[in-house]
Amino acid sequence: MITAFTVNGQPRRLELDPATLLLEALREHLRLTGTKCGCDDSSCGACTVLVNGQPALACTLLAAGCDGADITTIEGIATDGRLTALQRAFGRMGGAQCGFCTPGMVMAAKALLDGNPDPSDGEIQAALSGNICRCTGYVQILASVRAALAEAAGAAADAARPKAAADAQRRAAGPTPPPQAAEPQSAHG
Amino acid sequence: MSLPSFQLHRPRELAEAVALWTEHGAAAKLLAGGTDLIPSLKQGLFAPDHLIDLGAIAGLTGISRAANGDWLIGAMTRIHEVAEDPILGREFPLLAAAAGQIASPVLRRMGTLGGNLCLDTRCLWYNQSYLWRQSCGFCLKKNGAVCHVAPGGRRCWAAFSADTAPALLVLDASVEIAGPAGARWLPLAELYSGAGDHPLRLGRGEILSRVRLPAAAAGMRGSYQKFRIRNSIDYPLAALALALRREANGAVTARLALTALNPAPVLVAGLERCLAAALAADPPDLAAVVQLVNRAAKPLSTSTVPADYRREMVLIQARRALEACLA
Repeated sequence: MITAFTVNGQPRRLELDPATLLLEALREHLRLTGTKCGCDDSSCGACTVLVNGQPALACTLLAAGCDGADITTIEGIATDGRLTALQRAFGRMGGAQCGFCTPGMVMAAKALLDGNPDPSDGEIQAALSGNICRCTGYVQILASVRAALAEAAGAAADAARPKAAADAQRRAAGPTPPPQAAEPQSAHG
Repeated sequence: MSLPSFQLHRPRELAEAVALWTEHGAAAKLLAGGTDLIPSLKQGLFAPDHLIDLGAIAGLTGISRAANGDWLIGAMTRIHEVAEDPILGREFPLLAAAAGQIASPVLRRMGTLGGNLCLDTRCLWYNQSYLWRQSCGFCLKKNGAVCHVAPGGRRCWAAFSADTAPALLVLDASVEIAGPAGARWLPLAELYSGAGDHPLRLGRGEILSRVRLPAAAAGMRGSYQKFRIRNSIDYPLAALALALRREANGAVTARLALTALNPAPVLVAGLERCLAAALAADPPDLAAVVQLVNRAAKPLSTSTVPADYRREMVLIQARRALEACLA
């Protein structure tokens, strides 16, 4: 059967068997292998993608059920090849160790931050509680989301502050401050 | 893992879904949120020729009020909407608490209230891959002839494990069943057969379409107590819902139900009278009430956590819930 949806902003039309899972459509038909198959039974969160802006497990959704939907995968959140603040923070803070859970973690965190730009630690933990990391990196993962938020807050503050003070603050915030011109205004934009 | 092949139907009207479900009967399965069915299909627990996806039907979602003040919740309303609706949560905090502890945040956005109420029963010997079940021996719920939990008998003891069912039972909810002969309402307790291998008492072509919460149950105090291994994601292994109200004349209205212990959710009989007697003593003596729960709970070796442990837990839960609601 024909399934038509938007993936990372591009309209896609696929001829699929009705039993095709969204995960299979993404990985095997569209070759978007950033979305991982972890447990394959909806208990680990590695395959988290956004369907119409909501986090969903691609291993547990029929592709046909997503007909007409707007789907975002880990490949679709960087802008012009530049990683989002969230992705950069996962790298900088050690939020990714083996990296297998990371796409799901990033997408679940993005879903949270899209709806709540200033979450508490408890809210971050709750939003990521269905994403399992076997490298025991939860502390660094929480720190990564916090760092992305701090970067976004710093960027917003920079815009309203004299340049020298802003530069000093950015130097203090991290070892590799990204160029100001490309700084995204939101933690996950 | 790929799913076995099937013909997919995506009806846009409930009547169309009922007609398909009536036509295909045992050769079909209904798909709501899919959070339990899709993994079960992967494990070979079902191999339907037809899958009827209820996700495209308009009018099966949403929370509304009936003219008499009762609350109506569409069967395809997502669990997180039930858990997070601010007004529903104020009127029925117990339901919000139970729904808010289902699975994980992402699964709560995928799973539906109707799907949770119609959840298949679960067992250590059943919710496994085909290879696992083949290696360890099939059970009578699927492919086999013997129950590994109670080998002497012919009954299936898989545990009914939905969280919203006990909460809705103690809130005196009823469910609307759409079928080939039209729609009917029945008390939620009557939905469940008590048999692990066919847990729902639904006829051919019948679909749970709405849940009704009586206005009279609004504002009751409630406590939902849930035991599971990983609080972030797992199904319950023992859980209990208590709804309680002290009336102006001092009388106590109370209902208590269990889940994840028996093949059906269990509304504990005689609770109100027992509780009244317990409260008449000074200080209140809750031991008899806990004993009532002890008699109703029938945990068996359906999970990796021993049945004795789950029994101990539900007794602790009963005491905690009573103390929370009586405080």
